[in-house]
Amino acid sequence: MNKSLSWKIILIAAVIVFSVVMFYPPKDKINLGLDLKGGMHLILQVITDDAVRLNADTQVGQLKSQLKDASIKHDNVLRKAETTIEISGTLLEDERKIKDILDDDFRDWTYSFAGTYISMKLRPNIEKQLRDQSVDQALETIRNRVDEFGVSEPTIQKEGFSEDKILVELPGVDNPDRVKNLIQSTALLEFKAVVSGPFASEEGALKEYNGKLPEDLQIVKTNPRRMDNGYYVLKSAAVVTGKDLKSSRRSQDNYGAPAVGFSFKSGGADSFEKFTAANIGKRLSIVLDERIESVATIEDVISYDGIIRGRFTVDEVDDIVLVLRSGALPARIKYLEERTIGPSLGADSIRKGVTASIGGLLLVVLFMLAYYKGAGINSVLALLLNMVILMGILAYFKATLTVPGIAGIILSIGMAVDANVLIFERIREELATGKSPKSAIDAGFKKAFWTIFDSNLTTVIAAVFLFQFGTGPIKGFAVTLIIGIVASMFTAIFVSRVIFDLTYGSRKKLTKISI
Amino acid sequence: MYIFKKEPTFKFINKRYYAFALSGLIILAGMYLYLTRGFNWGIDFSGGTLVEVSFADRVSVQQVRRALGQSGLGDAQITQIGNENKFFIKAFDSSGKKTTIQEMEDHERLAKLIKGALLHDAERAALNQGKIDLNNNSEGEIATFLRSQGITDEDARDSAQKIIQLRKEATGIITDYSVLEKAGVKHRISKLLQDKSFLSRFTILSVEIVGPQVGKDLRRKATLACIWALIGMLLYIAFRFKFLYGLSGILTLTHDVLVALSFILFFNLEMSLQVIAAILTIVGYSINDTIVVFDRLRENLKIMKKESLEVILDKSLNQTLSRSIFTSFTVFLTVMAIFLFGGEVIHGFAFVMLVGVIAGSYSTIFQSCAWLKVWEKTFLKRKK
Repeated sequence: MNKSLSWKIILIAAVIVFSVVMFYPPKDKINLGLDLKGGMHLILQVITDDAVRLNADTQVGQLKSQLKDASIKHDNVLRKAETTIEISGTLLEDERKIKDILDDDFRDWTYSFAGTYISMKLRPNIEKQLRDQSVDQALETIRNRVDEFGVSEPTIQKEGFSEDKILVELPGVDNPDRVKNLIQSTALLEFKAVVSGPFASEEGALKEYNGKLPEDLQIVKTNPRRMDNGYYVLKSAAVVTGKDLKSSRRSQDNYGAPAVGFSFKSGGADSFEKFTAANIGKRLSIVLDERIESVATIEDVISYDGIIRGRFTVDEVDDIVLVLRSGALPARIKYLEERTIGPSLGADSIRKGVTASIGGLLLVVLFMLAYYKGAGINSVLALLLNMVILMGILAYFKATLTVPGIAGIILSIGMAVDANVLIFERIREELATGKSPKSAIDAGFKKAFWTIFDSNLTTVIAAVFLFQFGTGPIKGFAVTLIIGIVASMFTAIFVSRVIFDLTYGSRKKLTKISI
Repeated sequence: MYIFKKEPTFKFINKRYYAFALSGLIILAGMYLYLTRGFNWGIDFSGGTLVEVSFADRVSVQQVRRALGQSGLGDAQITQIGNENKFFIKAFDSSGKKTTIQEMEDHERLAKLIKGALLHDAERAALNQGKIDLNNNSEGEIATFLRSQGITDEDARDSAQKIIQLRKEATGIITDYSVLEKAGVKHRISKLLQDKSFLSRFTILSVEIVGPQVGKDLRRKATLACIWALIGMLLYIAFRFKFLYGLSGILTLTHDVLVALSFILFFNLEMSLQVIAAILTIVGYSINDTIVVFDRLRENLKIMKKESLEVILDKSLNQTLSRSIFTSFTVFLTVMAIFLFGGEVIHGFAFVMLVGVIAGSYSTIFQSCAWLKVWEKTFLKRKK
């Protein structure tokens, strides 16, 4: 046996050992997809408009107070759309002063003056940043919640190339309602000034304003779980939002009664300090998901830390703390897709997949042996090795095996022998032209190489497109197909050559080969 | 063993018009169905609610329909899976335009409604008494229930796990309490469960709810993926061979995809993600044969300078014929194995692959080279 052949054998042995170590025992090493393991698959969308709107509302509030501080005359500051704000009723001689304020503190906005109106527009890059941030933050929050819920090996990631969709996969979870509530109780947290209320009905509240609510106010319903049924009239612009909150905890007021303690991040603290200083004695509401959770009277200037007090029990305080903590989402979330796969379906799919794999393998092996005899054994060995490598790589990359993925494996059994067939057919042809077996083998491998390469690469190209298009299960298919093809090139071109060399190489005089 | 003892000498090229006509006929028929009936879009694409349910007893589609009808779900689409006691129940909510959120809520309501409709009266009564359904409640729910009955946390979790394991082994449905103790559930707990739980005669295997927006996105993405894959093929072959080879390859491939789509229409097969995966796989796979032939053609064009193009084309096809037939055959065998044993989830995939593999090797033999013959003048000029 020559030297290069023994190196080749060592390489093959190393690949086998590596693969087996990687995937054995398969039960622990092969990552099963949701469709095989059972669990929940959710695709949700972050309503990033919320985050943009929220930002605009906060800016409106700030702008108002700055205009007031600088005693600049104006009728109103209004958010016209998600990304536009309009200041109305200003005086022409104030233009300079207003420009200074806008240039200094509202750099995220472009503005234009038109007589007594100033319209401001959010810069597109800032808008994109806000949207991206809200998705990232939502992702993080959902991850925290799922962790708290105690799901092992969850997948929580942005879905594909879309900018606002999130994929959540929770293996082994099959009570969708609970999980969905947990994730969706998310919600948008806002601190808003109370103008009037409570009212028994929406109409009652409207009557106060002669049936037409001013543009900067809104009527919001209370959350009946937390307080009496009713409606309040609130300022639409939020003072601060969940984004500004650093933490919240159970706390006590001066008399030892339970209260909700919270702290702001520095930016939120500034806004909140200004607001509370100007509004002592007035009421503030905490709005979650467009429902009022609590209404409290402002008793002190609050900046970084504060408490919300009321007639809370300890449990109620804990609930609110939980809401505050988990409520720190920048935008609402809606579900686009939900799939729940029970545990027994996956078990059944595995059984069927194994049957089909073995069936397919046996059929192919049978025909290869019948058709190519001795060389058939060669290709069957290559095929088995192909399976071993496929499983090894699958485990190494922690790729996920899905139902279509199993189909990909079976399919790659059929395709793997394609390379062998190409080589064997070529060898047969070369033999038919009267070449000696040795040179026929040589020529067969050499001439078939580029054909195999080209034809396999096209399959890989298609599989790559499939991968980027597909969702979970389909991705699994694309992955097994690609791995299967790569492995088959190695086994058919390299390994089966070595087997030929081993079988025939040592013979001095080779007159006939079995093919 | 050989398919052909000697190199065959079939004349494929001069039959090209028959081949074009046959394919044209199939594709036209497909086109007709597409325009008149359209595809049967699965919920992945159309949005909707799909519940897969398995029964312990022999149940007919009519019985399922009757049960659903009593809950106002008479127009749900019910499909029996193979010869098993399993059914897909697909419900759409067709009541006008709605926001995605409303629509999702409606779908969820439908899913619950379907589940409720399948219960027998006795089972419904048991549920109302606060009993738990061992065949439909989740592991977590069973454990929580046991804990509420004064079982220790460890025992509750252990028993719930064993019950779920039993369900896995029994393809979803436990029919008899006696198996509980055999599986290692403590006698006391088993006794308690006999009293406080019931075994419904069916189990919900999966629930899928897809909002309308997802489907629209997906249709666009699927079409784009197919087109890009085709362009990728064209570029690669044009790069490795010549543009006209690439063009013939793509025409052959497009043919395969169109034939597969036509057969989907003939059998009114549901368009699912798996079916799209199969089509893309065909795009990647069926070009293999064509490349092998082209490869040989390129070689022969160099050697057989004196022969006419038609002779060279036929020669190349004949030389690679047994290989083309045999490899398609091995893939055909494995796809057949998936089709027969792979289970309902992957059935559509296997069917489309079967059609694709056959169409693929037919088109390689009868069409890939025929296209080159059609462009003979340009093709030979380019060669110089």
